[in-house]
Amino acid sequence: MASQYDRAITVFSPDGHLFQVEYAQEAVKKGSTVVGIRGTDIVVLGVEKKSVAKLQDERIVRKICALDDHVCMAFAGLTADARVVISRARVECQSHKLTVEDPVTVEYITRFIATLKQKYTQSNGRRPFGISALIVGFDNDGISRLYQTDPSGTYHAWKANAIGRSAKTVREFLEKNYTEDAVANDSEAIKLAIRALLEVVQSGGKNIELAIIRRKQPLKMFSAKEIELQVNETGKKEEEAKKKKSKKTA
Amino acid sequence: MRRAVELQFGREGVRAVMAATFFGEVVRAPCRAGTEDEEEEEEEGRRETPEDGEVRQQLARKREVRLLRRQAKTTLEVSLLEKYPCSKFIIAIGNNAVAFLSSFIMNSGVWEEVGCAKLWNEWCRTVDTTHLSPTEAFCVFYHLKSNPSVVLCQCSCYVAEDQQYQWLEKVFGSCPRKNMQVTILTCRHVTDYKTSESTSSLHTPFLKALKTQNAREPPCCSLLEQPNIVPGLPAAVLSYCQVWKISAILYLCYTDVMKLDLITAEAFKPVLSSRSLKGLVKNIPQSTEILKKLMTTNEIQSNIYT
Repeated sequence: MASQYDRAITVFSPDGHLFQVEYAQEAVKKGSTVVGIRGTDIVVLGVEKKSVAKLQDERIVRKICALDDHVCMAFAGLTADARVVISRARVECQSHKLTVEDPVTVEYITRFIATLKQKYTQSNGRRPFGISALIVGFDNDGISRLYQTDPSGTYHAWKANAIGRSAKTVREFLEKNYTEDAVANDSEAIKLAIRALLEVVQSGGKNIELAIIRRKQPLKMFSAKEIELQVNETGKKEEEAKKKKSKKTA
Repeated sequence: MRRAVELQFGREGVRAVMAATFFGEVVRAPCRAGTEDEEEEEEEGRRETPEDGEVRQQLARKREVRLLRRQAKTTLEVSLLEKYPCSKFIIAIGNNAVAFLSSFIMNSGVWEEVGCAKLWNEWCRTVDTTHLSPTEAFCVFYHLKSNPSVVLCQCSCYVAEDQQYQWLEKVFGSCPRKNMQVTILTCRHVTDYKTSESTSSLHTPFLKALKTQNAREPPCCSLLEQPNIVPGLPAAVLSYCQVWKISAILYLCYTDVMKLDLITAEAFKPVLSSRSLKGLVKNIPQSTEILKKLMTTNEIQSNIYT
């Protein structure tokens, strides 16, 4: 039974499960949805904003964080764990720059974060980090990157992915709607991210936060107005597409 | 001298077994074979002071379960079901079961509060005896205005073992009616579920049922297998119904999230098709929305997950 093998992180169950790592992945599902899309000239991160209590300062609750000028990440899961991981990653980015005189590649920092997470799955007296992260950015070669890490310490490159609550629904939407042509255009990539989030976000654009990185440009966070504009445009486009369809059938 | 010691030892030998511990000290271990002498001595030790008696009485008074008419703030003289006889009695115990009944049953009709149970124990302190807020632990009884023979109980407070029988007596009475259908909804953590299957193959949350011998309706899910047991108030109610030959069925939701959770509360949905609850639900999609709202208001206060 699972309960015999799930107390210690360093104990395998007879059928090869590390239950603490699997339970950490459940903690990720408690965080709000994050979607990441890799376009040709742009990378987009969209998150579902967590509703805050009345007296709470909204600005402090940030899911999207810059790790360096050309790399940023968004996470889903335990807030405190994310703070620690982000802090370590930022220090590593600067340390790398000072040592090697080159900024980190997106793959390097992803590997660093993944290695850090893996260490915590193999140490006594520690528990795994309860977060998954989507790390996006542009390397010096000008190619866009999107990576995902999870509590077990694995990382993979993706064209588009989602993590957190209802990630499955968003991923299914992306699988149906992602095409290379759709993301060749910057604004189309942004609209795809918004449409993917709107599949699962209640009450529309008010609960969405968006960030993009363009080649050789720093992270740009969209303001609430800009997001509303994008959401309205996306809505208009969908209506036009529906009208066209109904005209064709008629 | 030696003889006196032997005699004394002899007496003590009857009274108590002298045990030698590992370190060689002699310890008096109690023995059930008693003599008159022994009883006297023990009584002397047991004899309590008046203060002890007072404290004991105060504690008993504090732990008393009282059934109040909330609006009138007076105690009910008879048991609740004697005052409000019913044909259907639905009890939700625990926050997820309460949330489910709140959203699906209570929002589909007009319910009038008929009473509340006030109790105190180490885990459940309802401080103010006159004003209850929805977030506090409470135990409230309602009946359907359009059909007063349907009574509902929302119990989100912990009823201690020594208080359960009092609760049952105050609610059911000492001679309850046999022709009523009792439905109990509650949750347990899945780690309490004993099974020979691997727990990773269990799809939590899931429902299991336990019913009395006189249960009239078939359960909406599979029965709880041995050697699983149900403790606490739900078990007390079911046992009471079994003893008094009342038709009762307990729906137990095994979940991995014991705090208020949407998926756990929704796991009770199959119960809506049971004979007792069928006529009581009107608009399921609207109820689902109400349940979601209830959950989000609760979640907003928590900042652990982002």
